[in-house]
Amino acid sequence: MAFSVPVRLGAAENTLIEQLNSAGAAATAERISVAGLPTRRVESYHYTDLKTLLRSVPPLADQNDTLDAFLKSGATPFHVEGAHQITIANGAVAYDDNAPAGVIVGKAEGNALSTRDDVLVHLNTALAKESLTLTIENTIEQVIQIDRRIEGEAAHVLDSAKIFVADNASVTILETLSSSDAAHVGNHATYLAVGRNTVVTHIVIDLSPRAATQFSTSEYTIADGAKLRTVTIHAGAALSRSQIFARFTGEGAHGDFTGLNLVEDGQHNDITIDIRHGVANTTSQELYKQIARGRSKAVFQGKIVVERDAQKTDAKMMMQGLMLSNEAEILSKPELEIYADDVVCGHGSTCGELDEDSMFYLMSRGIPKAEAETMLVRGFIEEVLDPVENEALAEALHGVVDRWLLGKAG
Amino acid sequence: MTTPILEIRNLHARIEDREILKGVNLIIPPGEVHAVMGRNGSGKSTLSYVLAGKEDYEITEGEVLLDGENLLEMEPAERAAAGLFLAFQYPIEIPGVATMTFLKAAMNAQRKARGEGELSTPDFMRAVKTAGTDLHIDTDMLKRPLNVGFSGGEKKRAEVLQMALLQPKMCILDETDSGLDIDALQVVSKGVNALRNAGRSMLVITHYQRLLNHIIPDVVHVFSDGKIVESGDKSLALQLEAKGYADFDNAAA
Ligand SMILES: Nc1ncnc2c1ncn2[C@@H]1O[C@H](COP(=O)(O)OP(=O)(O)O)[C@@H](O)[C@H]1O
Ligand SMILES: [Mg+2]
Repeated sequence: MAFSVPVRLGAAENTLIEQLNSAGAAATAERISVAGLPTRRVESYHYTDLKTLLRSVPPLADQNDTLDAFLKSGATPFHVEGAHQITIANGAVAYDDNAPAGVIVGKAEGNALSTRDDVLVHLNTALAKESLTLTIENTIEQVIQIDRRIEGEAAHVLDSAKIFVADNASVTILETLSSSDAAHVGNHATYLAVGRNTVVTHIVIDLSPRAATQFSTSEYTIADGAKLRTVTIHAGAALSRSQIFARFTGEGAHGDFTGLNLVEDGQHNDITIDIRHGVANTTSQELYKQIARGRSKAVFQGKIVVERDAQKTDAKMMMQGLMLSNEAEILSKPELEIYADDVVCGHGSTCGELDEDSMFYLMSRGIPKAEAETMLVRGFIEEVLDPVENEALAEALHGVVDRWLLGKAG
Repeated sequence: MTTPILEIRNLHARIEDREILKGVNLIIPPGEVHAVMGRNGSGKSTLSYVLAGKEDYEITEGEVLLDGENLLEMEPAERAAAGLFLAFQYPIEIPGVATMTFLKAAMNAQRKARGEGELSTPDFMRAVKTAGTDLHIDTDMLKRPLNVGFSGGEKKRAEVLQMALLQPKMCILDETDSGLDIDALQVVSKGVNALRNAGRSMLVITHYQRLLNHIIPDVVHVFSDGKIVESGDKSLALQLEAKGYADFDNAAA
């Protein structure tokens, strides 16, 4: 039987085991030596067979060297007018004391995620040395940008951020993932506690170069009356996976979980979400748009769980795919797990090419083909970007998409 | 003799295995308004799409000249920049593209193709406001996504607005009267008439005579089974209205 035969470990797995052992994380090392990285047979990695896709893992980053180098260079990959920036470079947290009033920045040992049986989470828990801690005490107008970057030679970087948004506060947090042009493996973790009656927007954009592999996990707990909007944008790494794990813990809360998976030739990008309605009277909408061109693979796995006590849950999930080439693959796996009886839940999924009649209409007005395509693609993603209220931020996000459309992303 | 704005010679077109245009001949000199009348399914919209360059059709025979240039060799956007405009029978709704953004993109694309500079935003706004006022179009409507949620009348007015802004030399209006109540019909016709001038020609496609009381044609053509079977002055439209198309079907046979 398959499970009685020890799995054959590849280069990536051997490096990970070594790194885990050297960090004293014997238990995690042991799990990987026994099970290997997840294959398609592991349900949550069905379309992203990490064992095959992750060929090698570079050495763990030396935080101190690179942080100094970076702080001297002062480069910013993605600038949003007026944003307050905090940097995590090669896993090390860097900030100065000029944070806006009501924003408390600090750092703590270890990692921010709760325990969860997922290999990327295990790795982050075992190897991330410190976490940025961020407390938002009231209404913050300035966008708070967490600039997570990997500098220097190819490195395996695991970093972590723990964010508390206090009751009645509101904030927009932007996380940008970027790196120097090398075969890095990034593994970024964020835990976000969304307090009561808060209004929170949390945006994560992957802007890393094609050489890089990028993993990110965002975990949310959502308290009573909170309004959370998340936006996940992939516009970078050759291999990436963003995981969103959210749980509603207070009544009357609403979550909009949204994202853009922009995938081009040679890329495999995955957005996997797991949204749990744990108490009564909460609502969520999930809207993910995937655009693929060239020979590429875009993956969306969406799971909504309505727990037994979560009566009156209203959850609607939608995935829309746009194929810009015949070789592209857009995959979508929606799942609803419902244990309460008085709920409204649904999911839908569509996939198509650019609408020919729309193309013809635009061209018949003198708009050349390439420009007409761009207009329609922009129109397609607008539903995701439109709700972002901060104007400078919305403009920067449109810029990311436009650069991707012009083939200059990453 | 002056070059006609539009000259169609023996145009045949098919979709899949079905021939729909079966030898259309038509000459429209500068400044003239020609009406094409024919019953539903006779191929009028097909003619308009073939002229505008829609891909679905295979042209098996014939040629079309726009102001002396070979129209059928051009891409749809090139045809537009060369001065062809089609007011669609069913304007397409495009969610996510704001009408204003679209109008500006279209105007600038055509200017660019003709080697002219980009329109400044104030000039653009002014042009839209002027053209919009005549057509009773308020700016709120233009902030909405293109044609999305527009009523039938709003869609048709938006088509004429585009025509006014793009200043084409050859306008094709496909059933611009359909879905309009009498007030809207008057507004739209007035908008179209305001664009009539000595250098601009129009092809007005309709299957009702009523539109031609408002937009008075120089020539009326009867279209049946993929070709023009009879031409005459505006009284031909009245004759059609009175007798129906049946008489002309024989002419086509
Ligand atoms: N995409 C298409 N595929 C197949 N047949 C079509 C298509 N479009 C139009 N036709 C057919 O071509 C004929 C002419 O249609 P159309 O040009 O729309 O006529 P009209 O505008 O005069 O009502 C009709 O019989 C119609 O069914
Ligand atoms: Mg028609």
